[in-house]
Amino acid sequence: MTADMTANMRKINASQAVAESLFQEMERDERVVILGEDVGRCGGVFGSSRNLLDRFGPMRVRDTPISEMSFTGMGVGMAMAGLRPVVEIMFVDFIGVCLEQVYNAMAKIPYMSGGRVKMPMVIKTAGGNIGSAAQHSQCLWATFAHLPGMQVVAPSSARDHKGLMAAAIRSDNPVIFIEHKGLLLKQAKEFLNAGDVPAEAFVTPIGKADIVRQGGDITLVTLSASVEYAMEAAAQVAGEGIDVELIDLRSIVPLDVETVAQSAAKTGRLLVVDEDYLSFGLSAEIIVRVLERLGPSSLRQLRRHAVPDVPIPAALSLEEVLVPGPASIARVLREMAAAS
Amino acid sequence: MKLNEINLFRTMVRLRAFDEACIEGVPTFEIHGELHTSIGQEAIGAAMAQSLTLHDAVVSTHRNHYHALAKGVPPRALMAEIFEKETGLCRGRGGHMHPFDPEHNFSATGIVGASLPVALGYAYNFKLKGLPYIAVGICGDGATNHGTFHECLNMAAAWGLPLVCLVENNQYAISVRFSDVTATPGIAERAAAYGAFGRRVDGTDVEEVVKAFAEVARYTRKGGGPSLLEATCYRHRGHYEGDHDNYRERAEKQRMRAEMDPIARYRRMLVERGAAEDELDQIVAAAKGEMSAMLADIRKDAMPDPAGAMDHVFAEVV
Ligand SMILES: Cc1ncc(C[n+]2csc(CCOP(=O)(O)OP(=O)(O)O)c2C)c(N)n1
Repeated sequence: MTADMTANMRKINASQAVAESLFQEMERDERVVILGEDVGRCGGVFGSSRNLLDRFGPMRVRDTPISEMSFTGMGVGMAMAGLRPVVEIMFVDFIGVCLEQVYNAMAKIPYMSGGRVKMPMVIKTAGGNIGSAAQHSQCLWATFAHLPGMQVVAPSSARDHKGLMAAAIRSDNPVIFIEHKGLLLKQAKEFLNAGDVPAEAFVTPIGKADIVRQGGDITLVTLSASVEYAMEAAAQVAGEGIDVELIDLRSIVPLDVETVAQSAAKTGRLLVVDEDYLSFGLSAEIIVRVLERLGPSSLRQLRRHAVPDVPIPAALSLEEVLVPGPASIARVLREMAAAS
Repeated sequence: MKLNEINLFRTMVRLRAFDEACIEGVPTFEIHGELHTSIGQEAIGAAMAQSLTLHDAVVSTHRNHYHALAKGVPPRALMAEIFEKETGLCRGRGGHMHPFDPEHNFSATGIVGASLPVALGYAYNFKLKGLPYIAVGICGDGATNHGTFHECLNMAAAWGLPLVCLVENNQYAISVRFSDVTATPGIAERAAAYGAFGRRVDGTDVEEVVKAFAEVARYTRKGGGPSLLEATCYRHRGHYEGDHDNYRERAEKQRMRAEMDPIARYRRMLVERGAAEDELDQIVAAAKGEMSAMLADIRKDAMPDPAGAMDHVFAEVV
């Protein structure tokens, strides 16, 4: 984006975009209730529920005790009772505490009820690596995607933070909305994948990937903060004549295989970058689905670049070599370009 | 028990100097993630140090430095771990929220509510082997609303396990006030519901905490089953270094820091009893000197070698 294009953009960061979306959805629909640790008085530890308590009061904006198992289950009950709860699990790493309620109740009840019960519930949570070691760094989107019945959304641009939150709240499906800690405090105009955040309420449909950079040489698929890292890497290698097509998945359930497959068919090379763990995860899933669609020998190159099945260490000197970042993505792109 | 006043004072002052040295690593980005300090909670660590033996186990929380030091974890290795160095207690893999020292039966967790179950495991082992040791599971007031609190005290009491549940009630779980999410005035009163021994103490009066901790430890060590000690205190700094902390009134913070500072309180007490001000000053200066020299030394240590990033996932080094 050029300087004069960003000059007129709203001054709003991703967490404010989420908070604004929550505010507008709560105005629009009085059944929307938010609950979780520190969502009220302090407006969320990343500020993504700011201003809600003052406007909507403690019955609709509930600071909970550290009782994730029960307040997540409470969200299920609230949804069954006709409310539209947004339950915040501060960091996605803490989901282990309440996973039972997530996968045995939230995800399964619509099916178990033969479609009679709807589950308009959102789990809002933050993931991603910012130097916070093994218990506060994970992404875990593949864990949720593995459980039938959950929709899994992870926004990248500031604009999508707002639009996808609105979509999650309005959806009749259970949605897990995974923010990235490294993006939340970033201003809309600082995103490489920039775009103004409209002031009025709007919806970004869940399940539609976004081609954020057009290119003919390599298809790079990713989501969340890695979209930013990949933008940086793509810009670096562009100078060397490697033209990357970059796809932001936005959600992994539903997964927009169509968009990915079309691009891969065009470039013949597919790279999946994933900040989640490598094995049994998103990268293999995407590659298999593309090959199922295009045929087993349809592509010249397939590559995965993800966290290599190791807990995230505290020391940055170690984290840097394990978590995909702009430099490592650029390196993989160069290797792919050099290989054929 | 005869209290050695000067030692107790020195222990608290060294704890504080340790955390103050750690704080220096935050603005310089040597320490990543949310560093939680225990400034204002020194009396509790100092009291624990008086009653624990090498084989007793302690399982702590995200706010764990004082508990580690009280358990005898070597300060240099702990600080080096907090500074993410290869020389650290866990080779820089764990970091400030996840120090593990099997030699001292000490560990911690960054997940609220996850300390008590692990302590229960140590307690079970002691009972199984008929050993005269106790396991101390530490948690904050916030963690007492976690299901594990109930589950662990119930199991410990049902099976007569040597578990001491130590609650540091600093009145807040990040921004959430204890009184907003708990209907009872405190936590110690819950002990009766489990058949455990419960006690509440002013956690900023160090001599009282020493006595109270010794009492619960003795009860549990003698085979009485679990005990629950609630030590009331106040978190002097933000939840983590960098926390805006605008959920607590400035006036409240000023008043509480003045009233609930265990070191200042004890100092006044000792001076009233005749201690020389400059002897106390020297203790403070020596502790600060010790910790800043330690930090300066640790700063020269190497960061973990990236070549070892995949080591230790499994027992076999590949
Ligand atoms: C299961 C879980 N939920 C939430 C958090 C985030 N968190 C970290 S510390 C904390 C507050 C803990 O309060 P308390 O137990 O009173 O301890 P204090 O920080 O006051 O020492 C919260 C909510 C976490 N680490 N783990």
